[in-house]
Amino acid sequence: MFKELYKYREMIVSMVRRDLRSRYKGSILGFAWTFINPLLQLIVYYFVFKILMKAGIPKFHLYLFVGLIPWIFFSTCLVGGSVSIIVQKDLIKKIYFPREVIPISYVIGAFVNMALSFIVVIAVALVSGVVPSVGGLLCLPVIMIVEFIFALGLALIASALTVYLRDLEHILGIITMAWQFATPICYGEFLIPERFKAIYSLNPMTPIIRAYRAILYEGGVPDLSTLIESLVIGLFFLVVGAIVFRKLQVRFAEEL
Amino acid sequence: MADNELAIKIRGLKKSFKVYYDKSNSLKERMIFWQRNRHENRVVLDGVDLDIKKGESVGLIGHNGCGKSTLLKLMTKILYPDEGTIEVNGRVSSLLELGAGFHPDLSGRENIYNNASIFGLSKKEIDDRLGEIVAFSELGTFIDNPVRTYSSGMYMRLAFSVAINVNADILLIDEILAVGDANFQAKCFNKLKEIRNNGTTIVIVSHSLDQIEQFCDKSVWVHEGKVMAQGKPEDIHMQYLEYMGEVRRKKEVLLSGMTPVQIVESQQNESTLRWGSGEVKISSVKAYNCNKEEQSIFYTGEDIRFVIDFKVRDKVENAVFGIGIYRDDGLNIFGTNTKIEKFKDFEIKEDGSYEITLKNNRLLPGKFIVGFSIEQGDVPVDYWKTALEIEIVSHSGRVGTFDLEHDWSFSDKNIVK
Repeated sequence: MFKELYKYREMIVSMVRRDLRSRYKGSILGFAWTFINPLLQLIVYYFVFKILMKAGIPKFHLYLFVGLIPWIFFSTCLVGGSVSIIVQKDLIKKIYFPREVIPISYVIGAFVNMALSFIVVIAVALVSGVVPSVGGLLCLPVIMIVEFIFALGLALIASALTVYLRDLEHILGIITMAWQFATPICYGEFLIPERFKAIYSLNPMTPIIRAYRAILYEGGVPDLSTLIESLVIGLFFLVVGAIVFRKLQVRFAEEL
Repeated sequence: MADNELAIKIRGLKKSFKVYYDKSNSLKERMIFWQRNRHENRVVLDGVDLDIKKGESVGLIGHNGCGKSTLLKLMTKILYPDEGTIEVNGRVSSLLELGAGFHPDLSGRENIYNNASIFGLSKKEIDDRLGEIVAFSELGTFIDNPVRTYSSGMYMRLAFSVAINVNADILLIDEILAVGDANFQAKCFNKLKEIRNNGTTIVIVSHSLDQIEQFCDKSVWVHEGKVMAQGKPEDIHMQYLEYMGEVRRKKEVLLSGMTPVQIVESQQNESTLRWGSGEVKISSVKAYNCNKEEQSIFYTGEDIRFVIDFKVRDKVENAVFGIGIYRDDGLNIFGTNTKIEKFKDFEIKEDGSYEITLKNNRLLPGKFIVGFSIEQGDVPVDYWKTALEIEIVSHSGRVGTFDLEHDWSFSDKNIVK
C-alpha cells in the first residue's frame, strides 16, 4: 500500500495544490482568506468569551487564537474529510487510483492551511508581547505532526464510512461541536470541576492544544512527554483507519 | 500456459450488484426499514475464466448489459470481484473515461499534470512526456488556456493524448474511438496500432465489430455473465451475429403487440411464423399461373400472381402490404412492400384483397416459402411468414437459387467446338 501511495505521490501533490488554489478561486480577496478567516473567527470568539462571558484569562485573544487554529484544522479534517470521497465520486467511479489519496490530500491541504495560519498566530503573539522561544518553535512541527496523524486516522475512517452512511457528515458536525467544548479552546481548564478532570484528560486533543499554548502563548517549551499519549492514540487511529478504509473502499464505486 | 506470459488472468470471476428498489443511505431510513432494505442481487458476471496474453489485443463483444464493461472495470480495479480472482500484471491505463478529473479553470498544461498524476505518473515522468502529449493533442498555443475555453473536440484530444502517452503495459479501452474529427480518429487509431505493435496488451470493449476485426487478435464474446466463445474475431463475430439475429426475431414476436393469449396460440399453432396486432387478418392466399389456374408448381420464367384476401376487425390507417420469399432453409431471398415501392399509405376499412405478380420469375428449382404481411406503419398487423409454399421446376439444368442472365465468349484459338 505504501509503495503504491508513493507511486501516486504526484497525484497527492497535484490534488493538494488544486485544493488550495481552487478554494478561494473567484473570491476577490483570494488566498488572503486563509489569513482573514481565522482572524474574523477570532474576533467573534473574543467578543463572546472575553466581553460577554468574562473568561478571566490574560491575553485571552492569544490564548483563544493559539487553540483555535489547530482546532479548525482538526474539525475540518473530520467534517470536510468525511465527504471528501463523496465529492470525488466521479473520479472514483471512472479511474483507478489508490483511494487513500483523496482523504490524504484533503488532510494535507488543511494542514498546509494551518501551517500558513500559524504565521498569523506568531505575528499576533509578537504583537501581544509573547516571544516564542527557539526551542519551542522547533517543537512546533512535532506537535503538528502528532495532530496530523490523529486527524488523518479519523479522516480515513470518516470518509470511508460516510460513503455507506451519508448521515455521518451531520452527526460528525455535532460531534465536533461537542468535542470542541470538551477541549480547552475557548475557556480555561480551571473551569473544569474536579470530578470531571479524569474523563476530561482522556481527550487526546487536550494535550495537543496544551502543547501549542506552551509554545505560542506562554513562550516556553512544551513537555513533549505529555504528547506521547496523543501520539499513541493518533497512531492507533491511523492504523485502524487505514485498515477500515482498505476494507470499505472495495465497494466505493458501487455505493457512490 | 506459464503465468508470466499472461497479462491478465481471470478465474471463476463473479460479480453481482445490489439493486435497491428504494435505496436508503440515511440513518433514519436504515433504522426504520432495517428489516426490509429491499434489494435484488443482479448477477452481472457469473464465473468468467479468461486468459489474456502479454502483447495480445483482445476485443470484448456482447449485447448491452452482458457484463463486458463490468469486466473491464474489474480489470482496472475500479470494482472488486465477489468471488474468483483477477490478476493483472503490469501498469494499467484506461481510456474508460477520458478527461476524468479535468479541472475547467486550469490550463491544458496544468490539467496534463493533474490527469497524468491520476494515472500514477511522477512529476519527472510527466515532464518527459509533456512534449509528446502536447504535440499529439494538436492544441498548440491553446495548451496554456483554461480548459473551459476548449471545444469538446479539443477537450477529448487532450484527454486522449494524456491517456495514451502513459506508456502502460495494459491499455483498457471502452468505446473511445469516437474522439474528435475523422482526422484525429484516424490518428488515434494509428497511435493505438503503434502501441499495440510495441507489445502493449490492449483490451477493447466495442460495439463496432469492424473495429475489433481490424485491430484485435482475439475476440471474446461475453454473454449473460459468461464467456460464450473466444477466438479469431471473424469466427466469433459470425456466431455472435447469427445469435443476435435469432434473438431479434424472437423479440420482434414479443414486441409486436400481441396479447399473451395470442402468443401462446401462435406458439402452439404456427410457432413463431405468424404474428401481429390482428386488426386485419389475412384470410386466404392463392397463387395463379399465367392461365389463371391456381397452382403451387411453377416453371422458372413463368409469371406468378398472388392474390391475398383479408378480413377487417378494426380500421387500419397507414397500411403497408408486403411480400417475402424464403428458401426452404429460411434464407430470405426477396422481400418488398408498398412502402419500399413508394406507394402512398393505404387505409383499410373493410374486407378486401390485394395482388402481386412476380413477372418472369427468376427462381431456380427448389421449394420456396412465400410470406405476406400487413403492417400499420412499422407495426405488424398480420405478419404471416409461411403463408404459402411453392415449388419451382425447370428444364434448364442450371443450379442455385436464381437464374441470372449471362453471356459467354471464347477465344477461338484454343477451343474447338
